[in-house]
Amino acid sequence: MTKTLVIGLGNPILGDDGVGWKVAETVKERLDAESPSRVEVDCLSLGGLSLMERLLGYERAIIVDSMATGQIPVGSVRTFPLASLPDPMAGHSGSAHDTSLIIALKTAESIGADIPKRVDVVAVEAQNVYDFSEELSPPVAAAVAEAVQVVFDLLQGAPHDLT
Amino acid sequence: MTQRITIDPITRLEGHGKIEIFLDEKGDVANTYFQIPELRGFERFCVGRPVEEMPLLTNRICGVCPEAHHMAAAKAADMVYHVDPPRTAKMLRELLYSAFYVTDHATHFYALAGPDFVMGPNAPVAERNILGVIHKVGLEIGGKVINARKAGHTVIEMIGGRKVHPCTSIPGGLTKGITKEQRDEILKLGQWAIEFAQFSLKLFNDIVLGNKEYVDLILGDIYTHRTYYMGMVDENNRINFYDGKVRVVRPDGKEFVKYAPQDYTQHIAEHVEPWTYLKFPYLKDVGWKGFTDGVDSGVYCATPLSRLNAADGMATSIAQEEYDKFYKTLGGKPVHQRLATHWARLIELLYAAERWVELASDPEITSDNFHTKPTEIPTEGVGIVEAPRGTLTHHYTTDERGLLTKVNLIVGTTNNYAPISMSINKAARSLIKKGTVVTEGMLNMVEMAFRAYDPCFGCATHSLPGKMPLQVTIRDAQGEPVEVLKQFC
Repeated sequence: MTKTLVIGLGNPILGDDGVGWKVAETVKERLDAESPSRVEVDCLSLGGLSLMERLLGYERAIIVDSMATGQIPVGSVRTFPLASLPDPMAGHSGSAHDTSLIIALKTAESIGADIPKRVDVVAVEAQNVYDFSEELSPPVAAAVAEAVQVVFDLLQGAPHDLT
Repeated sequence: MTQRITIDPITRLEGHGKIEIFLDEKGDVANTYFQIPELRGFERFCVGRPVEEMPLLTNRICGVCPEAHHMAAAKAADMVYHVDPPRTAKMLRELLYSAFYVTDHATHFYALAGPDFVMGPNAPVAERNILGVIHKVGLEIGGKVINARKAGHTVIEMIGGRKVHPCTSIPGGLTKGITKEQRDEILKLGQWAIEFAQFSLKLFNDIVLGNKEYVDLILGDIYTHRTYYMGMVDENNRINFYDGKVRVVRPDGKEFVKYAPQDYTQHIAEHVEPWTYLKFPYLKDVGWKGFTDGVDSGVYCATPLSRLNAADGMATSIAQEEYDKFYKTLGGKPVHQRLATHWARLIELLYAAERWVELASDPEITSDNFHTKPTEIPTEGVGIVEAPRGTLTHHYTTDERGLLTKVNLIVGTTNNYAPISMSINKAARSLIKKGTVVTEGMLNMVEMAFRAYDPCFGCATHSLPGKMPLQVTIRDAQGEPVEVLKQFC
């Protein structure tokens, strides 16, 4: 298996915004129970250049985050390549004090840095990402298991659903 | 027909914020509002926590300058416990902080300010970013920026225990020191950082100062306000980011007041407006006279430019040469042109790198005397540092067990809320006139008015796919949109 990093992104004290962390933590528990793998797991609250710097040296990355489109049911899980994100500054991929993750990765690539060849996003439609809480709302909490499975499917080579 | 222009949220600005520009019936700007529509409540939910947790809790306020909050909190906690950390602890904290300044100022210049000047304010938005800069100026610049950040983060991790959110400052000093081997590496990285800072100043000199159009833009009236200026200084009135007294100079450059951190409430008050959650600090002895500049208005500014204006010079030799050149080129002290803040920031970058080497070269930096055990009953303390975005004040009161009963924070950008609002207003009035077709480049020039301040309003939450980075809506008198401009960056 290629050297892979799974990142849970978000703010764990802002309700559903912490879903990325919850999914990543569960992925880590399952991985730890398995034989030694080339998959690492981390939970971060970063964007832009800082997030890009964390990805250097990995062949592949999977970023798990919340999303708030308001157009699909809360708790829906979607996966897509980072490059297909319609708004590069969206979500935690952007940091207003530097640049977007996509531009940061292109910057690193242009100077020959060792960026992942593939970056996938697994996103869970959220309900409450503004109020302080360490708890996920029920439909988002119920989606954690599905999102974890999607991460494992991606690790095992599943294509994107692009929905 | 009354029109309303909204910039929401603002491109390349941390946290939520939006600009509302209201046009009158003729089509001129009637008024502008820079709103902060979120309340984060950190001061409230820290109450009841042990004060020694504050360096860990408050560095989570935001992912941009956790080191600043870590240091201000540590200094406030020192004072709460009436303990003076050993010299080595103070030097190590300042060393970490200097390395942080290098990463932060470098990132701002190359990712935020640079695109406006290197690519031009009216360049296509898709090119106005760090990638555009390195493609235009040279690939090696990208490598230098990434190396500068890496060097800073290495030092932060060595001293602070972690790369992003340091965790080693406690009341009375630090939980750990550094080895001689670490000191050697820190020194080597610092010497490279000095070269990088000099390279950055040369780049600014060649690209910005060498372009008459940009010099005219910097010196023009659009981005000029004559306010009071604030910054921390050492005993010789030289800039210091970590320790010293807060000095405020008048719009004519003369000293207005110099106070110790614990006296800040005697000099600073906060004005409240009904349309925003953020308060507007002002000089108490001058008074709040509205969003206006001049000697009779208590509005002050706390930025890299302000720090240069408030000090008599830099505490390191090469930065002092640049300081002299800065004022000679711009016509003497103080400099009121807000876009000159970008130049001031690079001079601070050089000072931080020099200070980094200076501190790492001190024989006591590897001493194991890095903590003084607190023995007094905790009471009250104020810690002030210069955050990259302005003077940062942490004020804590505890009970006899050290549990917090009151917390007050005045963060860097808050100091600048009134001047930022004034700068946006002036830029909008200057650029948007009756009959003007509002272009994306024009709105970017309005954004440049506040980008010079490097404002930060705390990263609360941004969920995928988020809003457009920049959306401008022009509405008629009935509130119906007549035109919508969107941009992706």
